[in-house]
Amino acid sequence: MAEPILEVRGLVKHYPLTRGVRFGRRAGAVRAVDGVDLTLGRGETLGVVGESGCGKSTLARLLVHLERPTAGAIHYKGEDITRLSGRALRAVRRNIQMVFQDPYTSLNPRMTVGDIIGEPYEIHPEAAPKGERRGRVQELLEVVGLSPEHINRYPHQFSGGQRQRIGIARGLALRPEVVVADEPVSALDVSVQAQVVNLLARLQREFELSYVFIAHDLSVVRHISDRVAVMYLGRIVETGTDTGIYDRPAHPYTQALLSAVPVPDPEGREKRERIILTGDVPSPADVPSGCRFRTRCRMAQERCALEMPELAAPTGGGPTGSVAVHEVACHFA
Amino acid sequence: MLLEVRDLHVEFRARDGVARAVNGVSYGVAAGETLAVLGESGSGKSVTAQAVMGILDTPPGRITGGEILFQGRDLLKLTREERRRIRGAEMAMIFQDALSSLNPVLTVGDQLGEMFVVHRGMSKRDARVKAVELMDRVRIPAAKERIRQYPHQFSGGMRQRIMIAMALALEPALVIADEPTTALDVTVQAQIMELLAELRRETGMALVLITHDLGVVADVADRIAVMYAGRIVESAPVHDLYRAPAHPYTQGLLDSIPRLDHKGRELHAIRGLPPNLLTVPSGCAFHPRCPRARDECRTDVPPLHTVDARRGSACHLWRECLHG
Amino acid sequence: MSELIDPVAGIGAETASARLDRPRSLWSDARRDLCRNPVFVVSALVILFLVFVSLWPAAIASGSPLACDLAKSRQGPGPGHPFGYDGQGCDVYTRTVYGARTSVTVGVCATLGVALLGSVLGGLAGFFGGAGDAVLSRITDVFFAIPVVLGGLVLLSVVTSDTVWPVIGFMVLLGWPQISRIARGSVVTVQQNDYVQAARALGASHSRILLRHIAPNAVAPVIVVATIALGTYIALEATLSYLGVGLKPPSVSWGIDISAASPYVRTAPHALLWPSGALAVTVLAFIMLGDAVRDALDPKLR
Repeated sequence: MAEPILEVRGLVKHYPLTRGVRFGRRAGAVRAVDGVDLTLGRGETLGVVGESGCGKSTLARLLVHLERPTAGAIHYKGEDITRLSGRALRAVRRNIQMVFQDPYTSLNPRMTVGDIIGEPYEIHPEAAPKGERRGRVQELLEVVGLSPEHINRYPHQFSGGQRQRIGIARGLALRPEVVVADEPVSALDVSVQAQVVNLLARLQREFELSYVFIAHDLSVVRHISDRVAVMYLGRIVETGTDTGIYDRPAHPYTQALLSAVPVPDPEGREKRERIILTGDVPSPADVPSGCRFRTRCRMAQERCALEMPELAAPTGGGPTGSVAVHEVACHFA
Repeated sequence: MLLEVRDLHVEFRARDGVARAVNGVSYGVAAGETLAVLGESGSGKSVTAQAVMGILDTPPGRITGGEILFQGRDLLKLTREERRRIRGAEMAMIFQDALSSLNPVLTVGDQLGEMFVVHRGMSKRDARVKAVELMDRVRIPAAKERIRQYPHQFSGGMRQRIMIAMALALEPALVIADEPTTALDVTVQAQIMELLAELRRETGMALVLITHDLGVVADVADRIAVMYAGRIVESAPVHDLYRAPAHPYTQGLLDSIPRLDHKGRELHAIRGLPPNLLTVPSGCAFHPRCPRARDECRTDVPPLHTVDARRGSACHLWRECLHG
Repeated sequence: MSELIDPVAGIGAETASARLDRPRSLWSDARRDLCRNPVFVVSALVILFLVFVSLWPAAIASGSPLACDLAKSRQGPGPGHPFGYDGQGCDVYTRTVYGARTSVTVGVCATLGVALLGSVLGGLAGFFGGAGDAVLSRITDVFFAIPVVLGGLVLLSVVTSDTVWPVIGFMVLLGWPQISRIARGSVVTVQQNDYVQAARALGASHSRILLRHIAPNAVAPVIVVATIALGTYIALEATLSYLGVGLKPPSVSWGIDISAASPYVRTAPHALLWPSGALAVTVLAFIMLGDAVRDALDPKLR
């Protein structure tokens, strides 16, 4: 793995649940993110997959400081940035930017495209002198494949795919090193998704970006990611290289998730074996004891209810080298 | 044919003009068959289904031409009352958003039972027994207890099961499912698709599956109709279409799927954007995005050419497309 | 209809038509909608006329509203005096025209005050949340519990000033919680949009987020409610004046005139008819305008 640019250790985000109108007592918590360790290497793409409610979006918001973690730490280039504020936080924000899922709500409808992409320079005036800003915005438009002449238009004059390009241009304006993309293509039409995936891949090479790419579409994640982390109910259950995860999934959840993805090829569909999970994801406000997946797991035993499995190299699988590239949180893997 | 749509035209009057959402669509569904209607947003796939079901909002929508033959009768010539009696009893629909399709202030049991009270004139008590049966059939655990619960007390997957139960209540010959799993997670999607397949085998109903997901289509469909800008651009049995698409749009969609051997390389993206229905390009609507486009594509609307007995392609260059 | 949410959304890059080059925003769309709406056109014309009359009443009424001749008390219409005379022998036409000024002044000032105070307090509460928000919510609850007319009778009966300001002050005092609640809700909704999150992620200051991102997107419901409220404030002023606690003679107000004319409704109905008619038309015009504005700004509410 390349030298780490972003390291996350024991990250926790709990949202307290209160009962009563305003001044109610605490009644438990939604454990959105519950002890996540991640490492993002420079120039690398880390895919994070999981179903709704697994905490992947909260994780994204924690990484870009939209939320304060309940516990744990985020290191950027070795420096602990978890509790920064004021000027120091602003400086870090320049380097960690976000691309949002919904291109319809992520652009202010009352601002022109030029104002939207140029806003980062107004917030960080040191990034570009006033006279150069318009030129830079036009450059950015060109970089993301839009016409620089569109600078005075409003977001509603663009299609979803074009809006997503505008959102990407805004995210790149400050030349960040890390981009956290939260489901950046899932709201787009199928024929446009591939364009945006290609754009993100090209920008990564051009600007030497490191991506945290969060998605539920496993095939897109596989295509763009160097490493993949699978999340379930606020924790990472398996992490490894893309081939490690997709070809030798060790966690029963990863196996079920991969087998549930419909294969876009009707050949041999009658013979295809599926692991169909029973039931739904439990509520993050009421997390099962021990292994969180045990309520839906076909391998679950008594031990799973008592002990929480930690991430560790799977027995037998994976190359035994200096770094544990493949880790899985299951007692039986 | 159980259902035959012939040359259907639907328009919407929007602020900036008239949008031709459906522009001469024809397809047929045989009894017991699964037809997938594949298309992106704005392709007219949902509008066609709404016209078939008779739930199109008019205005702003308007059916300006065509026939919808269901069991030999033209639905567009029936009275409101006659159509209402067909809806639910002989054809039913499953929607994407189960939460907003269920009434939040009625219990699930009441909503399921209502189908029997309204269409079959059953007593409330009998209808309730039927409702429990239905919930068992769509594999909702503890149906007897959960029948008194409200929609919000069910998870997304369970709500979609309830929707399916409602659609199947009166054993319709045709079920139209409009993006039934788009709002669901993959593992739940797999459950629902499996359930639909099982129920289809049990009841022998025909299914029209409206979706944009090439994976789901490959899994369950017998035949596929690909829609683009209000027209069917290709129609074929599922194996033929995936093996050798006969329309550049279908080809583009299949090529843009990330594949193993393309890892790290550019995806084959279709250039450009889906067209605006108010200003559909002249000739073949796909020509501005088509890598094969020629002059005739800009001027002449391609008819649905017969590729073989069971396939059609609305491309002037379908032969090249099929073989190259 | 989900496929047609935004008719412009699917414009292809190659087919991007010329009409797109004209920047269009929600406001210009709204303006276009409004100009085509007959309800808006009619109510706007009525309101324009009212504003004109209240600025230059002398343009259409030559006499003074205070020039009265008891000898002509309750006389019917005559040449030059199309509406006849009231109990004091004042010209009903002139008084009705001059009454518009009071009504428009009270309506506009009260609405401005209410909108300003309400949206600032409500907006800040919605944006920052926490204890301040909780306290403000309780305060608005308290204000909602006060019956307006009773409150007016109690509070305004101790005021002796004969200007419009105590009445306006009273309306602002009781009216701001309504706007504050709307503004708070609107800000909370807008705040959930990803563009607000994007600005936060860029490190934007609170004031930038509030002024550039939230306020322009949250203001529409406030405008709608304020426009409708304007009509009700005019009606409230008349009510309070009728009850004798609003404006007091020698101020000229439709409420005062209605109050003075009501005992003689059988013998001299014209003295009651004209001021009440003017009041009804005015209130209706503002409420209809508010409805039209709402339709234009928020088509989903229709």
